[in-house]
Amino acid sequence: MTDESNETRNAETGDESNETRNAETGDESNEEMHDEASDTRRDESRSESDETASDDQVATMSEPADADVESDQTTRRQLEDGRESVIDVDGVTHTYGDVTVLEDVSFTVPSGSVTALVGPNGSGKTTLLRIVGGLMRSTAGRVDIGVDVPRPIGYLPQDPDFRPVFTVRETLAFYADLIPHEVDVDAAIEEVGLTAASDRRVDALSGGMRRLLGIAQATLGDPPLVLLDEPTGDLDPRMTEYIFEVVEDLSGEGTAILLATHNLSGAERADDLLLIDRGSMVATGPPADVVAEAGADSLKEAFLTLVGAEGGLTVRTGREESP
Amino acid sequence: MNYARLLAVTDREFQTVVRTRAYAVLGLGFFVLVVAMAWTSGASGYAPLTLDLLTPTEVLVPALAFAFGYRSILGDEQRGELDVLRTYPVTRWGYVLGVYLGRAAALLLVVLVPLLVAAVFPPLVGGVQSSVIASHAGADSVFLYLRFVVLTAVFTLVVLAAALAVSAGASSTRAALALGVTLLVALIVGLDLGIVAGLASGFVGEGALVYTLAFSPNSAFRGLVLETVVSAVTAPGVRAAAPLANVVGLITWFVGALLVAIWTVWEDVTGP
Repeated sequence: MTDESNETRNAETGDESNETRNAETGDESNEEMHDEASDTRRDESRSESDETASDDQVATMSEPADADVESDQTTRRQLEDGRESVIDVDGVTHTYGDVTVLEDVSFTVPSGSVTALVGPNGSGKTTLLRIVGGLMRSTAGRVDIGVDVPRPIGYLPQDPDFRPVFTVRETLAFYADLIPHEVDVDAAIEEVGLTAASDRRVDALSGGMRRLLGIAQATLGDPPLVLLDEPTGDLDPRMTEYIFEVVEDLSGEGTAILLATHNLSGAERADDLLLIDRGSMVATGPPADVVAEAGADSLKEAFLTLVGAEGGLTVRTGREESP
Repeated sequence: MNYARLLAVTDREFQTVVRTRAYAVLGLGFFVLVVAMAWTSGASGYAPLTLDLLTPTEVLVPALAFAFGYRSILGDEQRGELDVLRTYPVTRWGYVLGVYLGRAAALLLVVLVPLLVAAVFPPLVGGVQSSVIASHAGADSVFLYLRFVVLTAVFTLVVLAAALAVSAGASSTRAALALGVTLLVALIVGLDLGIVAGLASGFVGEGALVYTLAFSPNSAFRGLVLETVVSAVTAPGVRAAAPLANVVGLITWFVGALLVAIWTVWEDVTGP
């Protein structure tokens, strides 16, 4: 991705905004005790994380260091193209009973790059991100992080939300307090263009602004790898474009971004593409190469060609083992 | 997880409670109920006041603790914030303890302030019998009532730990409500009824009754209040409880509930 300018963005609404990129406001909403709208949202992830790992799993995910470390102590692997690998995923497999959700998935994420993870619904994108982020165990395989910093990985979950009674700045200040070294909260707010909304409560933010708050949170402490799970899901084209610009800026500053997305025009702007289907990688490489190798004219056409002929109506639910 | 991070989690919980109107309404309701009962009971001394407030406290404090605690961890999980928190150098025990301390600080304020305000009523509205206080100053004093307040604080901390275990273990609001109501019914009547049934069937002997009561936090709390507050102004010889067993029972519930919360809050993926 290109290294865009570091101009100050403003995702604000209303009178304060005179920027070309801004976001809509949200409605005043409920307080914590009435915040039951997402009642079952996390059920699936809870059941996922209840899965146990097999004995042969080799987990080398670094536990967050608990020291006042500011330097990025790395043992990063040099890739063939000269870039440094922030994370190496090798042979990751994950099963739920007889259903294989991920099978022998391997890839690397270079520093200062954007890697887009695309695939049909149910193809294993979120599971893969959660395994890479150390939020769940894989059944087999290994994830190596070549860094030893207090917060090696930042994470934006799908449809993120935060405590409604706190402001944007208070929310980020809380997370910043969890990092052993000094964190510039205002810089993180400015990075995503929420400066004018920094004193606004979370329950007064629009969906797009909550995503931006989530991205700001994911970058606190300058983790070398940031995982974004559907950062533009159900957002309008303007906010989608804005978020991809924020992502490009972050990678331009040296952060490696691994994002799962259904937005193929955004994925096309990534440095690398990982196309996953039924838990297996079906194509990897720069988007232009993937398109060319598929003999297609566009990434959308390549996507449809590579993920199978049954069209977009089939929802993937993993691959059942044959008896 | 160091002290500063623990304090950050604690402060976040306390501020959440302080800024949420529903908690303020609950606290105000409890205040009005306790003060109204203390005022209208016309208790002539602190031991009678303790007896007047004991049963309402046994019922209302667990309900309050559940209301304050059942969404504390579950809410973070449903918003996706638990996953976010796990990418920071935060341990399971540090997070659970921080949540517990923040909620406990707010809940203790809500529970203890009305009880302390109620202490002004016996001398003010206790009627002519209030003069008895002077002749029994050695037995029935405000210090006995303060024992009840301290024991109520301990009881509050124990049932809040149980509420937190429900919050950590439940995967949805519906499940948390079901678990919480079940727990409340068990605490308020269920465990006592079980002990009564055991006594009636002969499974629990008469001599073991005071020890068996220690299995229930409510009974343990009630027993400690009767033993350390009320028995001071009653005739000796009647043994209401086994204080040591009650203390052990409350500690077991407290530690056990927090361990359950720590164990269930999220899967530890760093271990073997």
